[in-house]
Amino acid sequence: MNEEQAWVLQAQNGSDEAFTQIVETYQTPVYNLCYRMLGEAAAAEDAAQETFLRAYQHLHRYDNQRPFATWLLSIAAHYCIDRLRRRTLPLFSVDEDEENAFEIPDAQAPHPEQEMVHSEQREQIHLLVSSLEAIDRAAIVMRYWYDFSEAEIAEALHLTVSAVKSRLHRARKQLGRLWQESSTTARVERRVYESPAF
Amino acid sequence: MNHRPFEDWLLDDQFLTVEQKRELEVHLRVCKSCTAIAEANLALRAARVVSPAPGFSARWQERLVLARQAQRRRTLIGTLVFSLGGLFLLALLTGPAIAAVIGSPAEWISNLVRGALFAYTLWMAAVEAGAVLFRVLPDFVPPFGWLVMLSTVGGLGLLWSVSIWRLTRTPQGVKR
Repeated sequence: MNEEQAWVLQAQNGSDEAFTQIVETYQTPVYNLCYRMLGEAAAAEDAAQETFLRAYQHLHRYDNQRPFATWLLSIAAHYCIDRLRRRTLPLFSVDEDEENAFEIPDAQAPHPEQEMVHSEQREQIHLLVSSLEAIDRAAIVMRYWYDFSEAEIAEALHLTVSAVKSRLHRARKQLGRLWQESSTTARVERRVYESPAF
Repeated sequence: MNHRPFEDWLLDDQFLTVEQKRELEVHLRVCKSCTAIAEANLALRAARVVSPAPGFSARWQERLVLARQAQRRRTLIGTLVFSLGGLFLLALLTGPAIAAVIGSPAEWISNLVRGALFAYTLWMAAVEAGAVLFRVLPDFVPPFGWLVMLSTVGGLGLLWSVSIWRLTRTPQGVKR
């Protein structure tokens, strides 16, 4: 039995300290999933807190034969999907946590231009992921940020493996199309603001 | 332009051989839509993991305390509503009877005595009838009748035992 399994077992037996260890260990993966799903820091914080609360309340239902991370991230993903479905208006906003496209590059950085490009790409990816349908978004986040296999995604999202494959296929196609469109737009914008001297 | 099979390789995130990788690179030099898919894939792979603000665990513990308080409050309110509702229903149902008891005690005492006497008489009659049947019945039923009756009872008992054994042999709902 590894350390994580021991914490889970202790937490199942009512140890709050053990569950706090679980929170410490998984706060970043859970928060990151919520952030990528919901697109803003405040909502992600709330969703991550709620995820741990739900996990705490339903810990007795956790099957020790399954990976704990998959179970926990499954709770987070389903909570975020529910929240996204309940949203009537898009709530995405550029966030202070994440470097954004309008950020002034650090002049002290070894390669400020590269840093700016990376920052723009990060923001671009963030916007693209936010444009996906809720379940597709969860599948993409699990695939790229957590290296989940298609079977693990299927288990976490309660889908069949073929449904996951089809969703990933569709999402990648959409992301590619949007990436192409945003790259074209960026080039046009750059041309508009180019110095007439050159 | 023919995107097959390059687009499928990218969209299905397939494992590629060295030769396939080389072919894909050649295709990507001339195909903008496949390049966009490949770039988006790469950007996704390079995307960083975002951490929560420091003190997440402490904030979660505060939330847990609040959730427990809310749960206790909900339980208390639920118990209160249930108890008061039960009391109200009880009062509603027993109200007329209680009023009658308080109004004329002699009537309900006489009713009670009459009921008790009726129950006692009924019981005594049943006991007497049973005793008579026990004495008379063996003379009326021939030995063959007893044999059939006992065999039937035995067969039914055996059927019941086998049914129970068959039903409880494997735990229901558990696949082996």
